[in-house]
Amino acid sequence: MELPQRELAVLEAASADEPTPIAALASATGQKPETVTGAAFDLEERGLVAVTEDTVADVELTDEGERYRADGLPEVRLYAAALDAGADEAPVSMGAVLGAADLEGPEVDIALSNYARKGYGEIASGDLSADPTADPESDAEAAALDRIADGDPIDDDVRETLERRDLVVVNERTVRSVALTDDGVDALMAGVEATEAVGQLTPEMLASGEWADVEFADYNVEADAETPSSGKTHVLRATAERVKDVLVGMGFEEMEGPHADSEFWINDALFMPQDHPARTHWDQFALSEPSEVDDLPADLLERVESAHREGVGRDGDGYHSPWTEEMARGVDLRGHTTSLSMRYLSGEAVGDLEPPQRYFSVEKVYRNDTLDATHLLEFFQIEGWVMAEDLSVRDLMGTFTEFYSQFGIEDVRFKPHYNPYTEPSFELFGTHPRTGEVIEIGNSGLFRPEVLEPLGVDCDVMAWGLALERLLMLTHGFEDIRDVHGTLADIDFLRDTEVVY
Amino acid sequence: MPVVDVDPDELRELTGHEEKSDDELKDDLFGLGLEFEGMSEDGEFQLEFAPDRLDRLSVEGVARSLRYQYGDASGIYVPDTNDAEWTIEVDESVPDERPYVTGAIVRGVDLSGGALESLIQLQEKLHATMGRKRAKGAIGIHDLTMIKGRSARSADERVSSPKRRPADDRAAEPRDDGGTATESHDPDATDAAASNSITYRGVDPNGDTFVPLDDDAERTPAAVLTEHPTGEQYADLLTDYERYPAIYDDLGLFSFPPVINGRRTEVTEDSRDLLVELTGTDQWTIDRMCNIICYALDARGGTIEDVTVSYLDLDVEKPDFETDEKVVTHERIESTLGIDLTEDDVLDLLGRAGLGAESEDWGEQGTDYVVEIPPYRTDVLHPVDVVDDVGRAYGFNDLVPRYPDVSTVGGRTERSRLERAVRETLVGLGHQDLLNFHLTNEAENYDRMGLSAGSDVVGGGEPATIAEPYSEDYTIVRTWALPSLVALLENNTHRAYPQDVAEVGFAAERDDSNTGVAERRTVAGAVVRHDASYEDAKARLQVIARDFDVDLETPATTHPSFIDGRTASVVIDGETVGVVGEVHPEVLVEHDLEVPVAAFEFRLDALAD
Repeated sequence: MELPQRELAVLEAASADEPTPIAALASATGQKPETVTGAAFDLEERGLVAVTEDTVADVELTDEGERYRADGLPEVRLYAAALDAGADEAPVSMGAVLGAADLEGPEVDIALSNYARKGYGEIASGDLSADPTADPESDAEAAALDRIADGDPIDDDVRETLERRDLVVVNERTVRSVALTDDGVDALMAGVEATEAVGQLTPEMLASGEWADVEFADYNVEADAETPSSGKTHVLRATAERVKDVLVGMGFEEMEGPHADSEFWINDALFMPQDHPARTHWDQFALSEPSEVDDLPADLLERVESAHREGVGRDGDGYHSPWTEEMARGVDLRGHTTSLSMRYLSGEAVGDLEPPQRYFSVEKVYRNDTLDATHLLEFFQIEGWVMAEDLSVRDLMGTFTEFYSQFGIEDVRFKPHYNPYTEPSFELFGTHPRTGEVIEIGNSGLFRPEVLEPLGVDCDVMAWGLALERLLMLTHGFEDIRDVHGTLADIDFLRDTEVVY
Repeated sequence: MPVVDVDPDELRELTGHEEKSDDELKDDLFGLGLEFEGMSEDGEFQLEFAPDRLDRLSVEGVARSLRYQYGDASGIYVPDTNDAEWTIEVDESVPDERPYVTGAIVRGVDLSGGALESLIQLQEKLHATMGRKRAKGAIGIHDLTMIKGRSARSADERVSSPKRRPADDRAAEPRDDGGTATESHDPDATDAAASNSITYRGVDPNGDTFVPLDDDAERTPAAVLTEHPTGEQYADLLTDYERYPAIYDDLGLFSFPPVINGRRTEVTEDSRDLLVELTGTDQWTIDRMCNIICYALDARGGTIEDVTVSYLDLDVEKPDFETDEKVVTHERIESTLGIDLTEDDVLDLLGRAGLGAESEDWGEQGTDYVVEIPPYRTDVLHPVDVVDDVGRAYGFNDLVPRYPDVSTVGGRTERSRLERAVRETLVGLGHQDLLNFHLTNEAENYDRMGLSAGSDVVGGGEPATIAEPYSEDYTIVRTWALPSLVALLENNTHRAYPQDVAEVGFAAERDDSNTGVAERRTVAGAVVRHDASYEDAKARLQVIARDFDVDLETPATTHPSFIDGRTASVVIDGETVGVVGEVHPEVLVEHDLEVPVAAFEFRLDALAD
């Protein structure tokens, strides 16, 4: 017969004559008590041993008990002092005897009550007498304290008295003991061998059925394993995906379009005057090669130029700024994805749109800036707009309040603002979900007639924009955007970042 | 955006609201669109705001807006002006590049306390914004007593009582006063206008000399541009000028716009009478800048006096305080704000916006408002701007948000869904997803990859090039993504391997399309570990080809970034769309890499249905 090593050891250590407690088997086999217990039950299932359970009371001295064991029980000390004072002859004043016995505080009452109970003498009206025949040497309670300290068993009555006196505590526990059955004895007589402990479960073991007979070596399951090399979606990408999910859920359809585009779509269609400070090379990435687009939609170009020069509507005014087609033809890396909104609203991207519509994009934009902890030369802009017959500022507020609440940003405030392309315009402020600080979280407004009329849109369009990186820094608390975006990123930072969902 | 320093004590004084605490003022200012940025060292509010309300670039203008907001003032206000005693003669020598001039005389102004500082700040902020860094308009302010007009009359002959304009109570009712040309004035005024004059003219850069501000030496205009710090700062504005703009009085050159004034006419806290002159490239622009200055000085107790600007063919009176008119419908106001208002509500709100207004009831067709816009406003182009003013006066933050009752169907573009799916496949293969810059430089994109621009291999296209980059590190748009991956690996050689990485991103190169740039999404991946080989990269392509149900072939090719004999074209469904191979040791060593790299890059659209 073969048995796993842990079971074999227990079987060999157990006796047929007398049940052996687990603790004893553990020290005999050099195995942990829990291993022995497990092995004993397995052996019992095989019918080779019987496991019995006994309740054992462990008696322990309390601190008070320990003290009396060392100093003597208070009543015994009182009796000794009483004898010294001659109380066996005639009653003596109790106060003097207590002082001589070095008793004070609660010990006085303890001494007096047990003194009488045990027949050491009598106490009457402040005087104390001692029984000369009493024998403190044979005080059962004093003796029991010593026996407990030595781990020897004591009489149940005495134990109960001591328990009542709070000199001992009693803990009951179950002790399992193991004894060989007849089958167990037979098996040992016939000879039992240990099966080998197995490190790794193998396909062969599964196929052969060998797994049923092997013992699996214990692993240290608390130890850390080597972390595998794994892939992870970039945290900023994941944040973009999350934003897209939210916007699609709110009924927005995605836009796409060129990164390198004419200034016409990037700025002129947006009613940005050509001498606007943001249109200098200091702010935008004009390209030197290529420097101009070949074609612009002629009718639209004319209408946009007219809006710049003359304004739109009965008493509209234009800008007092120069305007040339040459400038409109210039090619830039877009400074905002509102160029996409212009392409879609004009019908250039997907044909004429009838209200209602919702569109969005989460795409790269470019700014000629200095790279630092909070500024990138290129970043993702969340852009969205809603087209409908009649839109009010309240609709705008309702839409954006809903969007930001999806990211835990509540209490959005709307600061009246100026953009050349929207009116009314608002900067959006919200409360940082972690720091509680009020911070700018976007820019929004209703597109101006000077933007919409040339595009051929005759209903209302509200729009807003926000840097995705800003949202990420808010929701993740990142401090340096360069850690996240670009070739300077630390690969361990990307590996360690919490996933976004 | 402009930041203006405003002393809260001055604000309390000018608004007459001494009881307002700093915090209350900050809240009120936020409602106007002025964001509190912090305190200056002198205990002034630093207020940031968008550049539409340039009239609020000074404490006087901010105070005026607050008084309207508090209901202490209502309706349009246009200061009275006295008749012109001074003429600005525009000489035919004036440079063609800067033909326009305007101005005003302001008398009896009190510049003590913070007033002078505020005026200087206003001037600077107007230069920075509407003046387009002085290119479009530049302001010079002078102590009038230091200027000697050509046919000066003595001070006591000056007309001492203000000549009223036709409508006396302008705050209460709209004005009908369009004309500013000399013809509309009586002959006496014309006489007065002729009595003192200064001349705007062009000068030889190396001709006359003057002592500029903050200086003690006589210099020619050309010398100022090279020797004086302010001159150096604005020298670029005059690069193409043959003659430089200058203003002369009887004593000579005293102003060199748009660069610097002369020291002789320097304004101090004791100056009482001022000459304001502006030159520029657009008459409307400098007239409005002049109006904003005049309104601020009016708030400091100054009396505005017209100046005759005498162009070769036309005399005009300045400042131009003509008001503009917009008609806005009641219906438009209600639909934009999303609330119901009575006619009285609207009239009250328009008044609190500092606008003049009269309603016109068209019965069935609703109500219109004829709104009069004060001459310091530069931002009212269309009736929507009036609607915005009504909303601000009402308090936008008092509006209750509502989710629009508009139903649409959301969705993503096919490309964006494909990108996500490919990224998921790569992450599933154990690649760390990367997000690199699209901007790079020629060294990273070509040289360090062993590649040259204009070669017929993946990444070898000509780059879209930034005209005037700030940084030498970012001068072109990347033509392929692999250099970004390798650059990231270079920055992470101290980190644990394997470093399998991938990016589904953007790349572009020049072509002959309309914009001249062919943009594409590209899929780049690298297996980076001690035993990486061609097979690892090819294996990953096989997984991608299987997942996206495309046919993959890898015929041998050469590419300067890869080892010959271990490089193949990525051919998907019969079309060559990329490259796969073991990165060349020269490229690895160039990037301090001590492990082999097997990599691939191909067009994302090759995987599309």
